Amino acid sequence: MVTIVSKMWQYRELIRNLAVVDLKNRYQNTTLGFFWSLLSPLLLALVLYFIFRHLWGREQDFAINLMVGIMAWRFFANGTSSSLSAIVSKASLVTRVYIPRQILVLSNVLANTISSLLEFVVLLPIIFVLLGYLPVTVLLFPVVHLVYFWFIYGAGLLLSSLFVYFRDLNQIWQVVTQVLFFCSPIVYPLSIIPDNIMPYYLLNPVTLFMGMYRDLMVAGDLPSLYSLVVVIGFAIAAYLVGSFAFRKLQRRFAEEM
Amino acid sequence: MSAIIVDNVSKKFRIPHEKKTTIFQNIAGLIKRRFDYEEFWALKDIGFEVGKGEALGIIGRNGSGKSTLLKILAKVLYPDSGSISLDGKVASFLQLGVGFQPELTARENIYIYSSILGLRRKQVDGLYEDILDFAELKKFENMKLKSFSSGMNLRLAFSTAIYAVPDTLLIDEVFAVGDESFKKKCRDKMDQFKAEGKTIVFVSHALDAVKELCQRTMLLNHGRIVTMGDTEKVINNYLAML
Repeated sequence: MVTIVSKMWQYRELIRNLAVVDLKNRYQNTTLGFFWSLLSPLLLALVLYFIFRHLWGREQDFAINLMVGIMAWRFFANGTSSSLSAIVSKASLVTRVYIPRQILVLSNVLANTISSLLEFVVLLPIIFVLLGYLPVTVLLFPVVHLVYFWFIYGAGLLLSSLFVYFRDLNQIWQVVTQVLFFCSPIVYPLSIIPDNIMPYYLLNPVTLFMGMYRDLMVAGDLPSLYSLVVVIGFAIAAYLVGSFAFRKLQRRFAEEM
Repeated sequence: MSAIIVDNVSKKFRIPHEKKTTIFQNIAGLIKRRFDYEEFWALKDIGFEVGKGEALGIIGRNGSGKSTLLKILAKVLYPDSGSISLDGKVASFLQLGVGFQPELTARENIYIYSSILGLRRKQVDGLYEDILDFAELKKFENMKLKSFSSGMNLRLAFSTAIYAVPDTLLIDEVFAVGDESFKKKCRDKMDQFKAEGKTIVFVSHALDAVKELCQRTMLLNHGRIVTMGDTEKVINNYLAML
């Protein structure tokens, strides 16, 4: 584990370059590109707002919670689904040259982290306008984002290495994320979940992350120590499973491309 | 003093009768009880050493395992058994211009390609002008790569690659690049590397190039070493075999 981290450190320039290329391609090399990419989540928020606003008490809170929920969701959904093809889409970097292959997943997740960060930053003035103030707890946002990043990176390692061998995984993952979307409190409040299924419902790590973002950005509460510990546990578990599977599976990557 | 030690390396490829690449096919295969694939030993019990500063040629027919061996040395493929050890910084040129981005400029691509070869930005800053001069592409530094001709592309890749000066070079038939004058520059560069004491492993079908560059050569056939030794003799051996 230590050796792979130090190997990747030697290639930090490449990690940076790949992430930048990824972002440039995503935003088509234009400054406006980023704002275009904001259009789809904001439109989604608008549509969901009009459909589901009756599920929430105060509609104003709903608008903010919905947007925070969607941004938190997008980090997970975009991060994992683009990680899926992180290895396969960079075949020449796998079969023609030696680099620590975790780099391909890491740079992809980093690019997604930056996109997500920008999306959250755009939310700040909106929250300020709708709430009338900005909770101080927003300052702790980077902590949650870092743990979330780590969790998604772990999941990305697992997904990307499995995808090399099982090329229908993207179809399966699409279905899984769709189910997860409705199993996370995005369009409805957590309070409508019946008590007897709540313990199972909270097994979804995305729900916990979402709750922490909302605590920090909307309610102005500190997340409970319990949820922080659980979330870090999820991140460590995802990372350990992901990097173990990746190390085993990467041995035959070049043959399976 | 050996720069490369290869000990008893074997590599087996699986050739499935029916390639399964989806979970669905794997499950269907389970039910139908068809796991069948053939095993094919691309390399069998390969062992050799290359001294520091030595240039070793590898020749053989198509499918003899040359490229597989080079890929194992480059750590792109993992051997099924045996071990390899390489000394110092290794650069593998299995293909030139790996990771080139057509949508970016020549300048940006030099930096990206260098970082793939393990260079830091500051190091590239110092080499940047030399790379462009060697490639004879100074005028085109801000042009997007997609408008480059294939020759320009290869020249840019080659120039960037040779300035990423490693201790050991693994080269697979990539030097048939550009016109005669550029080829000559490449040959001079290789001679310079040799003089500087770099270790080189060179896979090629161009026997003249092997003769010129390598003192020692290995002849592979069906994944096994047939002979290894003085280049002249091994090449004659190979020609007799054909």
